[in-house]
Amino acid sequence: MKTKLLISVAFLAGLLTVCSPVFAHHGASAYETSKPVMMKGAVVTKYSWINPHTLIYFDYTDDKGEVQHWTAEIGSPSAVNLLGWTRTTLKPGDIVTVYVFQAKSHLPVGRLNKLVLADGTLLRDSQTGGDRGERADDAVR
Amino acid sequence: MRNPFTRAIIGLALVLVVSSVAFAQTGQSQPPQATREGSQWKYNPIDRAAGSGGPAPKRDLSGTWAGPRSGAGVPDFKRGDQPSLTPLGQQLFRENKPLAKFSPAGTNDPTVRTCDPFGVPRNSIDEIRGLSFATMPGRIVMLIQFQDLWREIWMDGRALPTNVGAAEKGAPDPRYNGYSVGHWEGDYTLVIDTTGLDERTWLNREGYPHTVNAHVQERYTRIDHNNLELTVTIDDSKVYAKPFSLGTAHFRWIPNQELDEKLCLPSEVIEYLKALGDPAGSDPNAVGPSRK
Repeated sequence: MKTKLLISVAFLAGLLTVCSPVFAHHGASAYETSKPVMMKGAVVTKYSWINPHTLIYFDYTDDKGEVQHWTAEIGSPSAVNLLGWTRTTLKPGDIVTVYVFQAKSHLPVGRLNKLVLADGTLLRDSQTGGDRGERADDAVR
Repeated sequence: MRNPFTRAIIGLALVLVVSSVAFAQTGQSQPPQATREGSQWKYNPIDRAAGSGGPAPKRDLSGTWAGPRSGAGVPDFKRGDQPSLTPLGQQLFRENKPLAKFSPAGTNDPTVRTCDPFGVPRNSIDEIRGLSFATMPGRIVMLIQFQDLWREIWMDGRALPTNVGAAEKGAPDPRYNGYSVGHWEGDYTLVIDTTGLDERTWLNREGYPHTVNAHVQERYTRIDHNNLELTVTIDDSKVYAKPFSLGTAHFRWIPNQELDEKLCLPSEVIEYLKALGDPAGSDPNAVGPSRK
């Protein structure tokens, strides 16, 4: 019985390892990858369609009524264009819901996992846009 | 099943398998917005060359090609051998802090914070979504989408220089793209040999070093009209115990022969580092991101 238990535990541990989030290669080690921070009602203040990575600047008002100024990155224009992002996807004033892997530095910066536009459109990051923070662009490569 | 514990394990395993399949499905992206009716002035990734397009023309790579991660459905770049470094090679390798581990804030990859050129051979294997070939008298010219740069490959039978960077008068200077000569092997494989490489460049984004006397060989094989394959090997005995393959890339013919512009602009990198890269910091002691 003990042996069976050990084997089962080992099997479970193996499964859990395989199913844990995986991050692709590109400099994501500075981010807290276990769970994205969700922010509803974020207001876009700037959208920079640039290399190396596109930047989304937004303001988020927290429960205490304080406005946080955030910057999130997604992949390069070449990469995220394949997932439906364009030069004009966002503009200042747009209201969005964002999911961001925050930097371990605890500053209001991070890598966007995904974003939902006011009309409900879901847009994912190329490198970390999967539901477990994995790549979301394998299907469009 | 008699044993309730076994039942529970199997049940949990099923849940995990089903949920990971569900994740995989929801992890898939929205369909791209480009259509087959895209502008003739834009790269249209889903307008893909179908099948072989017929046999390869002889001794001719001319035209414009889509590479890995371009959206054209070509295979990912395939890494080659794990190189065996000499003591000098190991020392040089340790000095390099690649982007994947050190993040923009902590990397010393010169291409990241200041848009310095990749050089040869990295510009054949990194950010290689688009590539063109053309001919000029005595030369084949490679035109690389990333950074809008070109390389000249002399086809006139000359030998590679052997004294690049030497102190003697008249010795050529090291160059980011080195000095290249080429010849055809049969009618479908262009072999390019390059040396005289500026030592500031890395062979690849992992930070493998090289000396000025490294000998890079690229072999471009045109499989059929629509498909091109590249393999790169390195011979640099001061830093590598033996020659090794850097990897293989696949390229596909682009029907409208257009590529979009893709540039590393110092002004944009300055904005990026100020707004995001430097505040995000660097955590090289973190468990490294898993490799694909």
